[in-house]
Amino acid sequence: RAELPPAEFERRVLRSAARHHYLRVRLELADGGARPNAAQFKQLVVSALRELHGEVGAALPVDVLTYEEKTLSAILRVISSGLVKLWSALTLLGFYQNRRCAFRVLQTSPFLLALSGNSRELVL
Amino acid sequence: MVRFKNRYVLCEVLSDDPRCRQCIEDRAVGLAVRDAIGRVHGDYGLACCSISFTVKYLNAYTGTVLLRCRKDSYRLLCSALPFVRYLESRAQRYPCALNTLHVGGTIRTCQKFLIQYNRRQLLMLLQNCTNEEERQCIRKSLLSCSLTEEQSQSGDEEDDDGTE
Repeated sequence: RAELPPAEFERRVLRSAARHHYLRVRLELADGGARPNAAQFKQLVVSALRELHGEVGAALPVDVLTYEEKTLSAILRVISSGLVKLWSALTLLGFYQNRRCAFRVLQTSPFLLALSGNSRELVL
Repeated sequence: MVRFKNRYVLCEVLSDDPRCRQCIEDRAVGLAVRDAIGRVHGDYGLACCSISFTVKYLNAYTGTVLLRCRKDSYRLLCSALPFVRYLESRAQRYPCALNTLHVGGTIRTCQKFLIQYNRRQLLMLLQNCTNEEERQCIRKSLLSCSLTEEQSQSGDEEDDDGTE
């Protein structure tokens, strides 16, 4: 019997392989009062970036991939180098049109497919 | 932590308006730079750069300004300097621009650079002179400036017995 050559073990570590990061966020707003539509939602995100990180932050390429006005939840896409700036700006945003609000980040991943399942809401 | 490292940014104030010279003061320049950092880098950038930010040296005649900041945030400061568009003091606002000459780790290196830079500028000014009178004027003033030694060092240096 011929012995197969021993399998070579190769390990590759890619630190920042993905170009974009995806975040599933939900905006918590007090009941009553107009809900923002998609354009106003993006304006809110960009204004949060502008407050915390200035014009450089506001110029960060952020995309709103989906937005549901009923639940006020959205999927955002940002370039990987800007994830920290975006997340910190969303955390520190407190007001929308003089009403208190808060951003809750539900999931984040460098792969969009990973946002489709959520093990927190898994019903076994 | 061993020690806090600073970066000293040497820049010069360029302006078309000759009245801008009287507006070059440390408070006015400091406020203008802080405002520019706040606009460009937001609250986070402003707080980062303000940790050890001062105007260390200012020369209104040549328009030379020396700014100090922490080593971790000198890139934020340098990138915000082109956004300073005007200086404001005593309710007067003059348009100007800040030109970065040198970034050094200590005041001494910035001073060495400034001395060399001023020498080269004087040579260039001499070459660009249009008439002979100006040349003579400049030559005379250059030859007449010299270091004056202080007459008396602080003479009374008594040894204090350390009884305090």
